[in-house]
Amino acid sequence: MTRRRGPGGRASLRKDAPPGPPFRRVLVANRGEIAVRIIRACRELGVESVAVYSDADAGAAHVRLADVAVRLGPAPAAESYLRGDAIVHAALATGAEAVHPGYGFLAERATFARAVEDAGLVFIGPSSGAIAALGDKLAARRLALAAGVPVVPGTLDPVAVERPDAVEPILQEADGIGFPILVKAAAGGGGRGMRRVARREDLPAALAAGAAESLAAFGDGSVYLEREVRPARHVEVQLLGDDAGTIVALGERDCSIQRRHQKLVEESPAPGLTEAERLELHELAVRVARAAGLRNAATAEFLVDEARKPWFLEVNARLQVEHGVTELITGLDLVAEQLRIAAGAPLSPAVLAAAARAGRPERHAIEVRLSAEDPARDFAPAPGRIGRWTMPAGPGVRVDSAVEAGERVPPDYDPLIAKVLVEAADRGAAIDRLRRALDEVAVGGIQTTLPFHRFVARHQGFAAGDLSIDWVAEQWHGEADRQRVLRSALVAAGLASRDGVVEALDPPAGAPAAAPGPGRGAETDRPPGWLRGGRETAVDRWPR
Amino acid sequence: MAAVTDEGSAVAGVGSLRVRTAPASARPGDEPLTLGPDSGHRLEPAGPGRALLLEAGGGQTSQPARTPVLLGALRRPRASGPRLVEVVVDGWRFEVEVEPESRAALRERGSRDRRVGTHGGAAELRAIIPGRVVAVSVAPGDPVSAGQQLLVVEAMKMQNEVRAPIAGVVERLAVAEGQTIELGDILAVIGQDQ
Repeated sequence: MTRRRGPGGRASLRKDAPPGPPFRRVLVANRGEIAVRIIRACRELGVESVAVYSDADAGAAHVRLADVAVRLGPAPAAESYLRGDAIVHAALATGAEAVHPGYGFLAERATFARAVEDAGLVFIGPSSGAIAALGDKLAARRLALAAGVPVVPGTLDPVAVERPDAVEPILQEADGIGFPILVKAAAGGGGRGMRRVARREDLPAALAAGAAESLAAFGDGSVYLEREVRPARHVEVQLLGDDAGTIVALGERDCSIQRRHQKLVEESPAPGLTEAERLELHELAVRVARAAGLRNAATAEFLVDEARKPWFLEVNARLQVEHGVTELITGLDLVAEQLRIAAGAPLSPAVLAAAARAGRPERHAIEVRLSAEDPARDFAPAPGRIGRWTMPAGPGVRVDSAVEAGERVPPDYDPLIAKVLVEAADRGAAIDRLRRALDEVAVGGIQTTLPFHRFVARHQGFAAGDLSIDWVAEQWHGEADRQRVLRSALVAAGLASRDGVVEALDPPAGAPAAAPGPGRGAETDRPPGWLRGGRETAVDRWPR
Repeated sequence: MAAVTDEGSAVAGVGSLRVRTAPASARPGDEPLTLGPDSGHRLEPAGPGRALLLEAGGGQTSQPARTPVLLGALRRPRASGPRLVEVVVDGWRFEVEVEPESRAALRERGSRDRRVGTHGGAAELRAIIPGRVVAVSVAPGDPVSAGQQLLVVEAMKMQNEVRAPIAGVVERLAVAEGQTIELGDILAVIGQDQ
């Protein structure tokens, strides 16, 4: 493997050389908040950044903040952010030395990592070989088992779906694993190709459906069986490794609050674990990573059952959405560490020190993912134009976002619009801070998941650390929460209209119409029609 | 009918108001509200686009409930139609229609009369999320059973199947494969089997 080193590459990281930037220029193959996050790290390290963008993002924050920006194509991801060839070409054309994939899009496509490597560029992440080995969930299960890590009971090879005579052996194997059982895609992720089967007789149909969905989504119809671990928590371990093969765990995160396998709330440390349990989890994660030859940043995911026993699920060979939670309790900049590692540097003293402290965390951090989704309609996407946009600030609050007032959230990509993170001395104080921070959030123009996060921050079971991957299904009744405030909303709208405030509220002349027909209001262009000078109008007119 | 034609005074002043969620925000079960001139509720301004809603009898004690709200104006689809106000309470966003009670009653009577003449039973399918049509499984004239897949719409990485709400015949197909759709767009009309 050839690796082109820039003037600030490996040579400058020798002990006798002054520490310079790890690269001269890095291409960021992503969009949204994670692209901005990576560009910020580059800027701080003195590394120039190259953004790529689709037509939907021509004016987006990551394009504005980068030193150079290259257009990839039209809005659909398949014609822009998923075009590996165009991205490699852009990197070469702009003189970038390395490519950071972020998360999602091409981050875990081994073929893309290989194309970057083959072009003589550095892929900032695990090697293409490690990504390929871990991307095959069955291969990862075998690898973990061989490393002595407990994996969720199930099959270790693809089950033969297409042969009718194979059905009986599969059913017998399933009986041995036990129902309810999960049919999962070997190439899977995000719950696609997954089926839950409660009854033996439903298994053949579920296998066929799962295989078909998996084939359509990933081009690979291989499926396997896994016992359903219920009730369970989702706990994952942040890993960093260098070229020399040193691998460390930087603590764990509890991401149990999720729906449809998409995380909504993440925190670190995982509440309720003893130091010994924490360290065991970290050790298991490092063992899997070592077996896979992992370097750079990755995350090992586990289910933790009622008896607090961990079961290996999979490794995500990339930076994760929720990496900021770990940054807040370790004080590290994981993206900066990724860049240094990719340039050939060994794990920094700060990383090693944080890893040594990982069993006894002294701070607590929580992240909520604010998305353009309707939490009353099963978190259905709700893209549109943002009106008001006020994010929280103050002690212990961090917001990672890439949007602002007046910007359109395109329907083409992930609906995540901001990550609100809080950090405090302990979990109770962190929840108090989260509640305070969410009270400061004001978003207009689009529906967001804010009501759900406000609910979590006020929930006694959450405060008690009573977490489970079924938490959302069991605790959240979105429409009921919406109905709780509907009357107040109608009263407020009526009063604002009657008292004449509505004149001040009227959008400026020439502004585009909001709702040309039934149901269109949320999607069309929205003037920044927030009450200007409302106080004067109101004070004059309203009875006191 | 000055109250109807004179926009400035259409809702300001004394009189009851009819307030309801606008079609873009409406969900089954949403009840409209009639707000009398002496409702006892009050809005206390709290900065541009912000107010505190003081609701009489809303609190557990004699103190009124105090709820922070965000307020915004939306351009109404028709100049003569109800006012359209954006309200955000506890993170829930509503588009709300406000009009004088008298005019709402008039309009409702009118629309009831019109409905008499239309043929019964046709089901209009509208987009509940913006996105792209990635597959069309039926053609106009096709008989469909209730629950049968008509279209697949992709929005934000998710494929959503649009299914027939009733058994019948595809009367109209308003979209084609590859087409971008917006919230509320008509996708198809299913006529009921005779």
